[in-house]
Amino acid sequence: MKNYLAPFAAAAARPLEYAAAWKQRTGRKVVGSFPMNFPGELGHAAGTLPLILQESEEAITVGHGLLYPFYCGFTRSLVDQAAKGDFALLDVILFGDHCVQLLGAADAIRMQLPNTRVIFYQLISSMNDPWTHGRAVESLTGLKGELEEVVGHPVDPEALRASIRIFNRNRQLIRRLYELRKQGRSGLTSLQMQHIVKSSMIMDKAEHTALLEPLVQHVEGLGARAGDEVRLHLSGHFCQAPKLEILDLIESCGATIVGDDLYHGFRYISTDVRETGDPVDALAEWYMARNTKVPCPTRVQNNVDWDAYLINAVKEERAEGVIVLMAKFCEPHMYYYPEVKEAFERHNVPHLLIETEHEGVALEGLRTRVETFVEIVRRRQAA
Amino acid sequence: MQTLATPDVKKANKLAATKLGGKLVNEYWEMVFRAKEQGKLVCWYEGSAINPFLQAADICWVHGEAYSAMLAARHQEGPAQKAAEERGYQRELCSYARTHLGCAVTNLRNPVPPDAPFVSMAEDKYLSSRLPAPDMIISAYAYCSTGQQWDEMTSRLFGKKIPIFNVSLPWIWAQKPDAGYLKGQEWEETSQYVAKQLRDMVVFIEQQTGKPYDWDRLRELMRQVKRGSELRLEAMAMCSKRPAPASFFDWVASIAPINHLPVGKPMVDFFQAVRDEVAERVTRSEGAVHKEKYRLFFDGIMNWNKVGWLAEKFAKYDAAVVAGRYTHMAFWQEPDLIDPKDPVLGMAQNYLVCPNNHSAPILIGQILKLCRQYEVDGMVLHASRTCRAFTNPQFLIADAASKQLGIQTSTFEGDVTDDSFYKDELVNSRVEAMFEAIDAKRSRAA
Repeated sequence: MKNYLAPFAAAAARPLEYAAAWKQRTGRKVVGSFPMNFPGELGHAAGTLPLILQESEEAITVGHGLLYPFYCGFTRSLVDQAAKGDFALLDVILFGDHCVQLLGAADAIRMQLPNTRVIFYQLISSMNDPWTHGRAVESLTGLKGELEEVVGHPVDPEALRASIRIFNRNRQLIRRLYELRKQGRSGLTSLQMQHIVKSSMIMDKAEHTALLEPLVQHVEGLGARAGDEVRLHLSGHFCQAPKLEILDLIESCGATIVGDDLYHGFRYISTDVRETGDPVDALAEWYMARNTKVPCPTRVQNNVDWDAYLINAVKEERAEGVIVLMAKFCEPHMYYYPEVKEAFERHNVPHLLIETEHEGVALEGLRTRVETFVEIVRRRQAA
Repeated sequence: MQTLATPDVKKANKLAATKLGGKLVNEYWEMVFRAKEQGKLVCWYEGSAINPFLQAADICWVHGEAYSAMLAARHQEGPAQKAAEERGYQRELCSYARTHLGCAVTNLRNPVPPDAPFVSMAEDKYLSSRLPAPDMIISAYAYCSTGQQWDEMTSRLFGKKIPIFNVSLPWIWAQKPDAGYLKGQEWEETSQYVAKQLRDMVVFIEQQTGKPYDWDRLRELMRQVKRGSELRLEAMAMCSKRPAPASFFDWVASIAPINHLPVGKPMVDFFQAVRDEVAERVTRSEGAVHKEKYRLFFDGIMNWNKVGWLAEKFAKYDAAVVAGRYTHMAFWQEPDLIDPKDPVLGMAQNYLVCPNNHSAPILIGQILKLCRQYEVDGMVLHASRTCRAFTNPQFLIADAASKQLGIQTSTFEGDVTDDSFYKDELVNSRVEAMFEAIDAKRSRAA
């Protein structure tokens, strides 16, 4: 298994190094995008490497001079990376999501990198208005036009459809791993699943898929694994990947993760794009559909409920409890948490809230909390 | 032996006219508390001043930030914030929203006892539970994503049974060569996009009231808004004189009448009185502080728990805070854009020029323009812990003020309505250091 996973782990650990090597190899442009709703297909069809920018493991230093410490670790880390010159290899930086902290980061980054084009294509965040789809089409059309300016040639609709097919195939393969995981057949840890999804945000999609296919084939051949671990769902953590040591810690406390709705998880690969018809229209449709499939607190949509989604996910995955990972200072999550908490209470789903920080958490204290939680779940099941 | 009282020359010389504002504020909230008895529909909203749209339709309006600010200014925010915390809203969440959501929680779970009728704003102990529940919600929030999420959560708190309408106000990123303040293709297209949504919002309002919308009334209200705004801006502009006849804190005390109180003659009269008092002070050379030694710009949102406290603090240092981003770049700030005969586009544009909704280069340009106009010696930046909309560009603003204007800057932490984030001794030491630096600079120049 380790051999299959090594390239994913390497790209996930050093995304900018991967991008620099790709750029050198291909001589093409690299487009760095803020999460969480960038349709990478557009960048791919334009001949660039669409890279979702990642929180760095490095301590924040010079970034402290641009954003206050009471911002989420992801925004502070992005600004810090920009200020340190780490984004020099990026030809373009994009952002489209309406999050107040990301807007602050975008302003700071543009001021830090006056020679880098920073494109803003604001995606409408109110998801079920009569004009949502039309406005999303307008935003994505604008983005396509700007990318065409960057690469100096138009993006052909057929090329875009081809990119959509490549991205869909990649998502489908990862979803298959999720399915096998739910059935207890994948044998992949949460850390390994994160490497797979995170590297998919970074690597050339065709290359990623070529590496993924034999892995999926290998996993398909594994039998169901019997174990007495407590089955848990991991929820939350939007823009940034949860720290690997936290994932390891949870699974070392007698728990196994059977599903998640993390951005560096199922949320990223939940929904495919229609492969026929107008491709920009299809991307707008995808933008809306994925919020119905896995509702996101950063969007507002009165006719879907993240809490109801989670209760269903718990049932489908036969999860016995939920661990909520909340990035400190993440406002959308803070808003929605009481809804989720009350839904868990109504449905008798045990849950544990863990607040995470860029700077890390005290792992031994956390271990005690997780062990206690796992024990509570286990006893509840036995009762 | 009895001695004659001497005036305390270190006290803030507040405008007398703003006291009238306090009376208008009390009357307005009392009207809100009576709305259900009077059979009125109640709309909750945050952010943009859509109240004239609602007033024209005879709908009672509740502006979330205004209620939170009012509670904080009266030091009555505690019960609402406690209720919110008990439901699971974390302390780092926007305290405007947290306080207002706390009011919603108490409305649903801990309503005012039936034997505690409303007596007066000053004496009422149940203000956090007193807000009438909404019959509709309209979300129209510029820049800050928190606004839309706050409204959505309010709707969910009330069981999603209340109709909600979302107006999306895009941020002005201003990347294209033709971009600038109130100009360029992006500005024009965004203005039209918002205006169209506002017209759709009127259809939503008609659906709620079951009556055709009174456009004539809206036109008349907007004529009065325009007049009130012109008077306010005229009075503000007179503060470029030395000594400044009014301070940032007087303008803070004048926000409610321009932002969310009923539009009408009392509002226009209020700003006429403010304008006249400021003009009189100019003729008498009477300042907002008795011996103006420093002139400052205030960046950031107000710390509503500390309005009087900060006014007195700066007065004690002989510092006139003459202008601010919050007061001077918001609240019907561009009356020339309002055409009372056809007001919707101008209203949309005024919503788009909230003090955050332009990206940093334009925002900084506007701030530096004000600093030059009011000839400030320094800038104090309020890093409001839970209002990232205001804190986002502050390091960039401070840097530009320092490099382009050569003025001193000083930052202190506080919050919009959560008193616990404010540390007075830190404010003292940082502000004193700034004044020392200004003095040193003056000495060198002399």
